[in-house]
Amino acid sequence: MDFELDDDQRAIAEAVDALLAKHAGPARAAALARDGAYDAPLDAALGEAGWWDVALAPGAGLLEAALVVDAVARAAGAVAAGAVALAVPAALGRALPGPIALADEAVPGPVRFAADARTLVVLRGSGARALALAPGDARRVATPYGYPLARVDALLGRAGEDLGAGAGARLRDGWRLALAVELGGTMRGALDATLAYLRERRQFGRPIASFQAVQHRLAWCAVQVEGARWLALEAAARGAPAEQAALAAAHGAFVAKRVFAEAHQLSGAIGYTREHPLHVWSMRLQALRLELGGATAHAAAAARARWAGAA
Amino acid sequence: MDFDWSPEDAAFRRALVAFLAEALPPDWDEVAKDGPGSEAQVAFSHGFCGALAARGWLTPHWPVEVGGGGASAWRHAILGEELWSRGEPRGPQYMNVNWIGPAILRYGTEAQRRAHLPRIARGDVIWCQGFSEPDAGSDLVALRTRAVREGDAYVVDGTKIWTSYANHAEWCFLLARSDPSASRHRGLSVLLVPMSLAGIEVREIPSVVGERYFHEVCFRGVRVPAEARLGPEGEGWDVVTYALQHERVGAPRYARAARTLDRLVAALPPAALDDPARLARLGEARALCEAARLLSYRVVDQRARGLPPSADANVARVAGTFAEQWVADLALELAGADGLEAGGFADAQFRMAMTAGVAVGATEVQLDLVASRWLGLPRG
Repeated sequence: MDFELDDDQRAIAEAVDALLAKHAGPARAAALARDGAYDAPLDAALGEAGWWDVALAPGAGLLEAALVVDAVARAAGAVAAGAVALAVPAALGRALPGPIALADEAVPGPVRFAADARTLVVLRGSGARALALAPGDARRVATPYGYPLARVDALLGRAGEDLGAGAGARLRDGWRLALAVELGGTMRGALDATLAYLRERRQFGRPIASFQAVQHRLAWCAVQVEGARWLALEAAARGAPAEQAALAAAHGAFVAKRVFAEAHQLSGAIGYTREHPLHVWSMRLQALRLELGGATAHAAAAARARWAGAA
Repeated sequence: MDFDWSPEDAAFRRALVAFLAEALPPDWDEVAKDGPGSEAQVAFSHGFCGALAARGWLTPHWPVEVGGGGASAWRHAILGEELWSRGEPRGPQYMNVNWIGPAILRYGTEAQRRAHLPRIARGDVIWCQGFSEPDAGSDLVALRTRAVREGDAYVVDGTKIWTSYANHAEWCFLLARSDPSASRHRGLSVLLVPMSLAGIEVREIPSVVGERYFHEVCFRGVRVPAEARLGPEGEGWDVVTYALQHERVGAPRYARAARTLDRLVAALPPAALDDPARLARLGEARALCEAARLLSYRVVDQRARGLPPSADANVARVAGTFAEQWVADLALELAGADGLEAGGFADAQFRMAMTAGVAVGATEVQLDLVASRWLGLPRG
C-alpha cells in the first residue's frame, strides 16, 4: 500500500500539466464548446508527446494513463482522452487509430467525439467491433453539454473489425474506468472554479466562501469528489476489473449530479454565463454522468459483478 | 502508488480471519447484537483480547519496547476492518488501541507509559473517554469540569456525559479545565483518572441505541494525583486533538457497512438479484463504502509514513459516516418489517449507524474542519 505518487508518476503528472497549460484550459474549451468543435491540435500534441500510449509503454500502465486522462479532464481538454488512453488499451491491450469514439448498441443517444473519430468502437453484448470512420460519417448534433456529440445510428449496420470474444465486456469495464477518471477530473475542475470564485466574491460584506451554510456544502462535495478520484485510481491500478471499474463510475456519476447542482447554485447567476469558466466543466458533467447508462447502470453492473458473478 | 497489500500484510489478514473463525462462538452475532458496551460483549472481550495479545495482534504496530510488534499502521488497519466489521469482539478495548494508547505513547511520561501501555498491549484494561458534558457537546471547548491544583493533586469537580463503557472502565481519559482564567483553548488539561477514586459516580442513561451505551459520570471533589496529568498543564487541547484524529479513523465503519451489504444480499432470495433497481441500490451503497475505505487508507498511509495527523482524517470521517448511514437505511428498507425485530443484522447496523453522525464530533464539526483545514476557506 502506498498512496503517494512515485517519482516517475509525479514526473508524468507535471509534464502533462505543462503541456496542457500551453494547449488547453477553460478559455480554449469555452471557445471550442461554442461550435461543438474537437481540439485536433491538442490531440496531436498529446499524441506526439507519447501520452496516448502511456498505458502500453514499458514501465507504465493504466494508473499512469489515468493520471494523464485526469489532467486532461481538469484542463477541460476537448479530446477523446478516456477512450484512447484508457478504455481501449485496458480492454484490448493495444491501440486503435485515434481519435476513438465508443458506442454501445444497447444505449441509445448521441456519442461523444463520433463526428471527429477515426475509429468507432461499437459494443454489442459481450462482443465488439471497430469501424473505420471518414469525416461526415456521423451526424454532428448541437449540444450545450460541452463535448462534441454526434449520432451514429446510421453506422451501426456497418461491418468492421471483430475485436474478438469477450471484447464487449472488457471494453465496457475499460469505458467505465475512463468515465470514472474523466468524472473525477471534471468534478475537480468544476469544484476548483467554484471555490476560486466564492473566495473572491463578497456579499453582506464578506466572502461567500466564509458562510458556514456554504462551506458545509462545498466540503461535502470535496469529500465525495476525493473519494471518486481514489476509486478511479484504484480501479486503474488494478487493471479495470469489472466490479471496481463499475463502482468507480457509479460513484463518480452519483456524486456528479450533486456537484453540478451545488456548483451552480453557489456560483449564482454568473455561473450560467459563457463569460465565467464554470460551464466548461459543469455542463460536461451531465454528458459524462449519463454515458453508458449512467449511475444506475454502473451500480447495477458492480452489484452483479460482486454478488451475481457476472457483469 | 500501490493499492496492493504486501505479502506479509495479506498473510496476516488470512491468519486473522482463520483465527476469528475459531475464536468467535457460533452464536457470536447474538453476543454482539447490543454493541461493544453490552454485558455479554464485554464479558467475551476479556478472553478474546488476551488471546489476541498472546499472538501479538492487539498492538502489532506499536514499538517493540512498549509491548508492540514494530509493524506498520497498516497492520492495525487490517485488525480494525476485520474486528469492527464483525461487531468488535475487542469490546471497549478497541478504544485503547485506536487512540488512548497512541496519545499516551505520544504525550506520556516514562512512568505513564510503563503504567498504561503494557496493560493495553496485554488486553486486560478498559478505558472510557471523559470529554462531552451536558453543556459542552460539539462546542467541546466550553467544558466546565474543573481540575484545581491543590498541592500534589488536582481536585476534580464536574459532570461528563454520553460516556460509553464508563460502567466497566477502570480508567478515564479525562479532559478538564485546569486554568479558568486562560482563553478557551488554553487552560485545559488531560488527566488519566482511576475510576475507583472516591467521589466518582456512574449512572447509565438508557437509550434506544444499545445496551449500556451511554452514561453520566459525576466527579465530586475527586483528588487525582498530579502525576496523572498527560502532557503539559494547559495544553490538553493539543492532546485531545491528536487523540481525536486517531479516533476518527479508528473504527472502520465502512468495513462494517460493506459486510452488512454482503449479509443483506446473502439473506435475499436469489431472484431478488434479477431486479436491476435493487442491484443498483446495492451497488451504489457499496461504492460509498469503497470510497470511504480509500479515504481512510489515505490517513493510514500518512500514519505509516510517520506524518502528523491531518484534516484527511476529517475527510475520511465524513465519507465513512455518510456510507454507513446510507447502508443502514438501505438495510432496513430491504429487510422490510422483518428488520424491526431486535438483534437482526439490519437492526444492529441501523442502530450502530444512528450515532455515527454525532460520535467523535458531529458531522457539522467535521465539515467545518474540512472547509477550514482541507479547503482553506476563510472563517466566518
